[in-house]
Amino acid sequence: MNENPYQPINGEIIEIIDESSTIKTFVIAPEEKFKFVTGQFVELTLPGEGEAPFTPSSSPAQTKKIEITIMAAGRVTGLLHRCKKGQMVGIRGPYGKGYPVDDFVGREVYIVGGGVGLAPIRSLFLTLVDRIKDFKSVVCRFGAKTPNDFIYKKALLGPWQKIEGVDMKLTVDKADGSWDGNVGVVTTICDKSDVDVKGAVAVICGPPIMMKFATLKMIEFGFKPADIYLSMEKNMSCGIGKCGHCMIGKYYVCKDGPVFTYEQIKQYPNIWA
Amino acid sequence: MATKMKTVFISKLKALLDALAEQMDLYVPKKAGEHYVYSRYDPASDRPAEFNNIRTCPTIKEFLFPLCELAAIFPEPLEPEEIKPFAVFGLKDCDLRSIEILDKVFLEEEFRDPFYQKRRENMFIISSDCFEPGENCFCSFVGGKPFAQDGFDLNISKMRDGFIVEAGSQKGEDFIEKHHHLFTEVPEALLAERNENRAKTQKQLNQNNAEFRLDKPIKEIVENSQDSEIFDLDAKGCVECQGCTRICPTCHCFYLYDTKQKDYFGKMKMWDSCMRTAYAAVAGGENPRKVLGDRIKHRLMHKFSYFLDRYGFDMCVGCGRCMDTCAGGLDTRVVLKKLNEELKDKKKAKVSK
Repeated sequence: MNENPYQPINGEIIEIIDESSTIKTFVIAPEEKFKFVTGQFVELTLPGEGEAPFTPSSSPAQTKKIEITIMAAGRVTGLLHRCKKGQMVGIRGPYGKGYPVDDFVGREVYIVGGGVGLAPIRSLFLTLVDRIKDFKSVVCRFGAKTPNDFIYKKALLGPWQKIEGVDMKLTVDKADGSWDGNVGVVTTICDKSDVDVKGAVAVICGPPIMMKFATLKMIEFGFKPADIYLSMEKNMSCGIGKCGHCMIGKYYVCKDGPVFTYEQIKQYPNIWA
Repeated sequence: MATKMKTVFISKLKALLDALAEQMDLYVPKKAGEHYVYSRYDPASDRPAEFNNIRTCPTIKEFLFPLCELAAIFPEPLEPEEIKPFAVFGLKDCDLRSIEILDKVFLEEEFRDPFYQKRRENMFIISSDCFEPGENCFCSFVGGKPFAQDGFDLNISKMRDGFIVEAGSQKGEDFIEKHHHLFTEVPEALLAERNENRAKTQKQLNQNNAEFRLDKPIKEIVENSQDSEIFDLDAKGCVECQGCTRICPTCHCFYLYDTKQKDYFGKMKMWDSCMRTAYAAVAGGENPRKVLGDRIKHRLMHKFSYFLDRYGFDMCVGCGRCMDTCAGGLDTRVVLKKLNEELKDKKKAKVSK
């Protein structure tokens, strides 16, 4: 391991995929093999400009390149969106604790995702699908603002629907002419009959407001707070549990998370903001 | 039990400091206005050093965790530069315990901060007894004492006709050994006198803080005050200067900041403050602590609850520097006392129901 935890390894952007008007996926080839656990995050540096935390959206099985799906939301992400193929970047990590996939074995995995929150979920989904027989079932309930805002659209509407053991439903907040699916927020396609809550786990990732209501929905279904896994978005800066920015109560999201069970963090104030 | 460390006597401080300065860069307290600051020891000066009866104004963290430093460069990796051994004289028990706190954070097993580690390994610590606790000193609230307990290489106790020098580490023992000609034996009576001095200062400290005495451990008080309005009321006095976090010897928030230099890109590590409005904001715009009262509460919770849960002790050493510096006149002891009283009232109200 690098002796200096602040020093990134170098990487090159080798491909850029437009996912929606505000979201792009960057395919990055790191100088050395890069291993991570699904759900862990990296600090991506645009040299001279800034650094920001992202959870890779690619499968950890792929170590020669990693994919990072980024929404243009702030200064650094805005600058990243203007980058071209061949841009050198820095990567630190992987950091934190990912999804405890081995604990999901033999259980139903109920995944609720929205917007750019599908990025970490894609990595988890690919990981689960790789060994789909290990799980009782994988239920996906994904939402986006409009059909054009769905990322990974091709896979979502095509091959992912057809995987045996996967039950997938999609929804949009606002439809256009091309959409003949459900219209409404993601919780409108979540139904208690989707899942046998006993023994199942829920995974939620999306915008804060969606995470809040999806969590309340899961509680209503009868999920125990300890069986609801949340991927928390905070402004991790150092990534190594020191700088303080990402604290939720006593936890450092960068070190103890970013994946938490609701049980761990429910007592702390303003977790959804 | 550890073997008893060497304790000796020296009549002139200068001889000791000269011997230290021969071996390493030495920083000593100097009076600047009403406070002490650290300055480089100059043996040729007519007043080369003073014995500080109270802690200095700047904190020891500035030696270990500077305001701003280069933490990484791009594209070639950066290794921490070699640090020359250096010594700092005049640390108090509160300063020693602040080092213990910073050590927990920066020398943690899993991720060590190599820049902190280099400086820490090369620092020789000379602490000294307090004689004049400041009006804001409240170390006794958080397990502190007006004299060093551990964590020093040498400790100096000022006596009527000289100084008692006590080793607190192998490095300190070795120093005394090497310079044995400077020292004489300490008579038992003098050690007894030192104990009396210490007890006297302790008494003074307790008197100063009598009105702030709390009924419960601080952790319990802050944890049970989550819904208190006192934080928001206090926020009315705060001018958001962030001085409390900058001057705090245990606050260690920082952020990584990328810069363009002439021939490289640099990643700087720079102090930050949890009192800053956008401190916890994310790019999407959400901010869990946009309300000032919530930030004040978070800071107290971090110091007296979260850190304790993680590392087993408070992240406050009771040095009172935050109160010395507060432009809004806020006092941590007053806040805690108010919370204490509020909880008592709540309990009374419950009982009378």
